[in-house]
Amino acid sequence: VTRPVPSSLAPIPVPDPDSAGYWDALREGTLKLCRCVDTGTWIHPPQERSPDGGAVTFEEVSGRGTIFSFIVVRQQTVPGHQTPYVVGVVELDEQVGLRLTGIVDAEPDQVRVGARVRARLGAPTPGSDFRAPRFELETPHGSR
Amino acid sequence: MSCAIVGIGRTDYSRRSGRTTKSMAAQACRAALADAGLTPSDVDGMSTYQANDSAHPLEVSRALGIEELAWANSAYGGGNLVADQIATAAAMIEAGLCLAVLVYRSLNGRSGYRFGTVDTQLRIEGDGQFDAPSGFIVPPQWFAMWARRHQHTYGTTAHDLGHIAITQRSHAVPNPHAVMRETLTMDSYLASRWIAEPFRVLDCTYEVDGAVAILLAGEDVATGTRQRPVWLVGSANSQSGAGWTQWPDPTRMYSATAGPRLWDRTGLTPADMDVACMYDCFTYTVMATMEDYGFCGKGEVGAFFGEGRATYGGDVVVNPHGGLLSEGYIHGLNHHFEAALQLRGDAGERQVSNAELALVTAGAGPFGGANIYSREHP
Repeated sequence: VTRPVPSSLAPIPVPDPDSAGYWDALREGTLKLCRCVDTGTWIHPPQERSPDGGAVTFEEVSGRGTIFSFIVVRQQTVPGHQTPYVVGVVELDEQVGLRLTGIVDAEPDQVRVGARVRARLGAPTPGSDFRAPRFELETPHGSR
Repeated sequence: MSCAIVGIGRTDYSRRSGRTTKSMAAQACRAALADAGLTPSDVDGMSTYQANDSAHPLEVSRALGIEELAWANSAYGGGNLVADQIATAAAMIEAGLCLAVLVYRSLNGRSGYRFGTVDTQLRIEGDGQFDAPSGFIVPPQWFAMWARRHQHTYGTTAHDLGHIAITQRSHAVPNPHAVMRETLTMDSYLASRWIAEPFRVLDCTYEVDGAVAILLAGEDVATGTRQRPVWLVGSANSQSGAGWTQWPDPTRMYSATAGPRLWDRTGLTPADMDVACMYDCFTYTVMATMEDYGFCGKGEVGAFFGEGRATYGGDVVVNPHGGLLSEGYIHGLNHHFEAALQLRGDAGERQVSNAELALVTAGAGPFGGANIYSREHP
């Protein structure tokens, strides 16, 4: 039995009216998240209205943050990425508890909880026709 | 509450049933009815929970020759709904809307739809869409992510998780219904293959095909059935939509809220429990929920299991059937079967002596609940 190439069956996100601003911004090369107009609170996943019914908008975030937690996927249980690979939950600098998931482009033994990372926007897998944030470790001097 | 489990039924658990979920559900329901000494015509309610992977109560009732039901309920969801399924059935009975309700779960969890493995191209809608690009869409990865945070915060280790897997396996060894019955050592646990670090394969539930049915009835019916009734003392849930990424503190689960709610509602404490059937989709679920329900402090679960406090002769016997980790993954309803067996005193070689009260938890992560059952009428 020939196993399919992992990337050929990668899961596909389905944008909706609430999330279109997020995916559209990524397509244009920026990382924007949903934000309450009145309070400035970031809301992720995005919503049509804030919890109290107020207006929201999509605003760019820095993409910088810290590794809140991470896993090293060694068994191919989901198609898409060649094992082993690292998935991180990244807490963004903008707000406590505001977190994104993404592939961390680093060797598994280099990743630590609390490590500084920054987002890089790209195709999740070869052939993907959309962009998503991935994360790379910041060097001590801030860039590589 | 004045409802009881009056009948329990199940199929064999296997890797490939070769059967429909309808047929397995019908077999488990017939067994529960025979156990109680009742017939299909005594049943006027049926309820299940599923992920579009199982037969609806309308189909199963038809297979049992039941012409119509007063209540035919199918909830979309997972193990987080099990305690709620039982409590809602009891509420229906106590409200006078049903006389006797069959709650079942039937799945080809190994040969059919597997929760932990994706082998087709999925299109992910809703809140999960943001995790699709990284493939962060299956339970073993979600819970490994949470376990890592616990390790970071409290210094818990692979050995701590290993003690949970090893203790539960030791309970499964004498259980003829369990699928995993070989004695497990720390060395063999640590040598088992990685799924998603920090989880090894032995941190994960053993997916199987099979079905369990639990028959509930009110006091008037329960006093006339064939087995000793096992009484529902109380139930509590906590269901949050915070998800796997935004949940504030993954070192705690739903149980940090549902636990105190349950103890407050029943006036009981963890020390009163003789048996604890802890929902164990993963070893880490047992760790976090044991802490949350108050059996021990944060970061102490490894020692709690390692020192024998979670087995015979200890504080409480956790998953005497082996749990989902070793008996098999019937999505948590097999925990209720085991609790009933233990409180009747019918668990044979693995009987917990003088078992009077059992905690049965359901679910993990942001959502779940628990029931307490009693041998004596509460």
